[in-house]
Amino acid sequence: MNLSRKQLVGLVLGLIGLVVPFFLSIEGLSQAGHVALGIFFLAAVFWMLEPFPIYATSVLVIFLQILLLSKEGFIFKEITEVYTPDSYTAFIGTLASPIIILFLGGFVLADAAVKYNLDRNLTRILLSPFGNKPQFIVLGLMIVTALLSAFMSNTATTAMMMTVILPIIARIDVDDPLRIGLALCIPFAANIGGIATPIGTPPNAVVIGALSQQGINIPFGEWMILATPLVVVVLLFAWILLLTMFKPKANSVKVDMSGAFNTSKNAIILYIAFGFTVLFWITESFHGVKSAIIALIPVVFLTLTGVVTKEDIRKLPWEVLWLVAGGISLGISMKSTGLAEWIVGSIEWSSFGAITLILVFSIVAVMMSNFLSNTVTATLLIPLAVSLATSGIAGEGFNLIIVSLVIGVSASMAMMLPISTPPNAIAMSTGTIQTAHMAKAGFTMGIFGVLMVLLYALFYWPLILN
Amino acid sequence: MQNARYDRKQILKFVGAAIEESPELRMLVDSFEPGDVFFRQGEKITHLYLMLEGEVVLKHKREDGTTLELITLSAGHFAGLVAFTTGNHSLTTGIAQKPCRALCIRQDEFDRYMNDHSKLKHPLQRLMLSNMADRFMTNVRLESQMNALNQELEIESNQLKDAFQKLEESQQRMVHQEKMATLGELVAGFAHEVNNPAAALLRSSEMLKENFQDSNDGTAKSMIFEYGLHSEPLGSSEIRERMLYIQKTFPWVKERALVRKLAQMPDLALELVQKNKKKIPIDELIQQFEAGKFIHNIQVASERITNLVKSLKSYSRQDNNDWDMIDIRDGIKDTILILSNRLKYLSLQLDLKEIPKTCAKMGELNQVWTNILVNACDVLQDGGEIKIRTKSEGDYKIVVEIADNGPGIPEEVLPRIFESNFTTKNQGAKFGLGLGLAISNEIIRQHGGFIKCMNRESGGAKFQIILPVKNCV
Amino acid sequence: MEKQIYILVVEDELEVMDALVNDLQSFETYFPVETANSSEEAKKVVEQIYYGGNEIGLILCDHVLPGQNGVDFLIELHADVLKHDSKKVLVTGQAGLEDTIHAINSADLDHYIAKPWTKEQLDSVVVKQLTDYVIEEKLNPMRFMAILDAVRLAEYMREHKLSDY
Repeated sequence: MNLSRKQLVGLVLGLIGLVVPFFLSIEGLSQAGHVALGIFFLAAVFWMLEPFPIYATSVLVIFLQILLLSKEGFIFKEITEVYTPDSYTAFIGTLASPIIILFLGGFVLADAAVKYNLDRNLTRILLSPFGNKPQFIVLGLMIVTALLSAFMSNTATTAMMMTVILPIIARIDVDDPLRIGLALCIPFAANIGGIATPIGTPPNAVVIGALSQQGINIPFGEWMILATPLVVVVLLFAWILLLTMFKPKANSVKVDMSGAFNTSKNAIILYIAFGFTVLFWITESFHGVKSAIIALIPVVFLTLTGVVTKEDIRKLPWEVLWLVAGGISLGISMKSTGLAEWIVGSIEWSSFGAITLILVFSIVAVMMSNFLSNTVTATLLIPLAVSLATSGIAGEGFNLIIVSLVIGVSASMAMMLPISTPPNAIAMSTGTIQTAHMAKAGFTMGIFGVLMVLLYALFYWPLILN
Repeated sequence: MQNARYDRKQILKFVGAAIEESPELRMLVDSFEPGDVFFRQGEKITHLYLMLEGEVVLKHKREDGTTLELITLSAGHFAGLVAFTTGNHSLTTGIAQKPCRALCIRQDEFDRYMNDHSKLKHPLQRLMLSNMADRFMTNVRLESQMNALNQELEIESNQLKDAFQKLEESQQRMVHQEKMATLGELVAGFAHEVNNPAAALLRSSEMLKENFQDSNDGTAKSMIFEYGLHSEPLGSSEIRERMLYIQKTFPWVKERALVRKLAQMPDLALELVQKNKKKIPIDELIQQFEAGKFIHNIQVASERITNLVKSLKSYSRQDNNDWDMIDIRDGIKDTILILSNRLKYLSLQLDLKEIPKTCAKMGELNQVWTNILVNACDVLQDGGEIKIRTKSEGDYKIVVEIADNGPGIPEEVLPRIFESNFTTKNQGAKFGLGLGLAISNEIIRQHGGFIKCMNRESGGAKFQIILPVKNCV
Repeated sequence: MEKQIYILVVEDELEVMDALVNDLQSFETYFPVETANSSEEAKKVVEQIYYGGNEIGLILCDHVLPGQNGVDFLIELHADVLKHDSKKVLVTGQAGLEDTIHAINSADLDHYIAKPWTKEQLDSVVVKQLTDYVIEEKLNPMRFMAILDAVRLAEYMREHKLSDY
């Protein structure tokens, strides 16, 4: 294993961060809180500087919590006045928490969709009404990308859409800015589209996971009602922004996608499963069946019928589930040891208004997730926000759901750099665009995103939630 | 025989009388019309026939379906005698040719008749014996005739074989000559076609070079161009070493492609680059060097094409197949160039001493050199060695020696090596032009010389060709 | 430092080598080019590359070489587990049909380029072969999308469940 200088620094800092709180005695923080602080330091540093893959750090976090903080661990075998240690099953259980199962269902559906070319065929059908004017082609591409990435992983959607736009780009003059616009519209739309549903992107899972620990369940459909209007506005803005920044020279562009829907028995089964699952998810508020339970329908149905095979299951992105579970798990002990409360309590929040707080969380989330993984950003910020809201320190108007949403959504608004999100990295690696193009457009998107999040958090979301 | 025949008549008369006397025997006499069958080939014989009148012909049907008339039996002969005495199936079919009368004796009753009619016993035995004797003599006569015929046939077939072989050889030679002639025509046309673009290449590159040089203003750029023009390509290991050196001396050059290009520059050019690195972008300087290098490469390559074509043309030119006063060494040099692909990794030592011109067919002699050299290439490993030597003895004799350091020629093969159709290689040898050493031998003979082949003491084979010096008439 | 994927060119005629390497320079930022003038030298170069923890993605090899010929060299290389998957392309004007068939059967020859080649032809063969290599060896496709067949690499990513973090 060869570590770069950055990774080496991360490793050392992380270990120091883990050990140092053991030798400190911080006023107002329990003994368990010291341990949790050490783990939090380690996780934060490891996730940010990545001496190890972030999913590995997540499992490490779960393991360390069991070792050092659970009832079965070394230190806290007894229940004391200040700390009631959780059973180790609470930490392990995060690996099968409802949001994880919901994601699993989404993975299985998306996997089968790719296997039977449903994503590509939908793209073909949905793009056809957009004609051949470059402006509308870009709009069509963005809508389709956003739609797909709401149900599939943003990255897989981007990769698929690249196979659609690269041949188009190849036919456009080298000096036509439309090339840049096309190459940027896909990752942008994928990043934005991921916000639309709970399964669209992992930060959403972190939000839902954190809220469910507080006993708050956000139904699938309600999330969509909260998030989709924001997605539409931001997507339209991105469309206009890209066309203005990179004004197309070409008058018409030809999209030639050929193909036909797979009509094999397995494919039909998949279409039905896909349709029903999505329908039941969206209508959760009406029938009340939890979306995580519905998520088992495609898993059961598609594996029973052999549409999804053993090989397919092995290839699912399990590490994403680990990552999310690690985040949820970290939230458990941050709360139960009083660490979150202590962190929150050490800042004089009440001097800020709710608007300022939302703005701060949103900006910090966008900034962090431009450099870090979106999921890590959400994981690190949400426990703080949760404590802030539940402790009541921040005063009235600081709604738990809204602040979690703010962080989750803002994490997906980061698209300035190639390292911001995997879709950005893919678009960058095609060699069609330069970092400056992405930074310029991504920066504007970030600003607009923060503003929109603020507006929605102040006016629209309270309306829906009340 | 006369005696026997006379005897037979007498006996027949006697027998005939005896039959007339005995009503039992008279019953046994049958009459046959022409075409009636006595017995059939392949069947058991039931009766023995003693011909009293008329003739019966014995026919034998052969396996190929033709029918052979073997013998005609007249009065006094037995029909079915052989099968009767041996008890085998009949070898022939007996058919009456004229109206016949014959005594038909059933096989199982023959002995009884002999005993009952004792006075017939002796004459019949006599008749049988004379029949047997007759057949034996016929056999002997046939045998000797057949022998004579066989001998004649063998002589004729040998003559045919010789003629065929000669015909085949001359046909091969003619085909070969035809092939060479066609090739010559093709090559001449091809050479002309290739020469034009090659000349254009050569001239264009020359003019391109002058264009560049005209604008030579003594600056670093034009000097670097000149370095490029005179650079020789480096081997890859040398490039690797120089690349390491460049990475040290030009640490700011990160792109590997540029490092490689710098590595190909001579030190003087590198100094110029170092000196001008602030004034002129390094890309531009490298571009200048590359321009010079590419022009140089074009020149070298087009010169090579031109030379190859020239050799190919003179190697296979049709008019070279006329008798002419030639310097044999020119042909040898052309052949070497044509075979350069095969000779590439062999070490070739030439010792072509001054020799007088002689009257010869250049094209045909080139065939001889090609054959011998290709054979040598086939047996040599990479790094093998071929020596070609020419010398003259007095002004009447030219000697060409081609020696290799290969495995040599097995002693048992050596005497047959110039026979036509002799080969140690598989059919379809790599070089499709030679017909082998037989043709070489023939060509040298037509030139009034001879070719010898021997193994060298030091290993390897040596061919020695000796040609007379003569003037064309 | 990520593992480097090399292109190895084996050619004994220096001018031809020079031209080949020049045509390959657009790949050099992503795939360093190494050269050798004979099979013997090529083997040493190969060992050095693997010794440094890097690997060879593509070998462009002439057939007529001093010592061991190109086809035999490729066959020998193919028998080595480490270099088994390297893409092998014969660049030659001289290999006969038999040699070529032999190479295809025993060295799993991936392509055959006849001399003289054109830049477009060489580019397309190199792109195709290296794209195959990147996909078969499960290398990070994003590293090479700008120079190789981006559509195929994107398709590969689509089928391999890349996830968002």
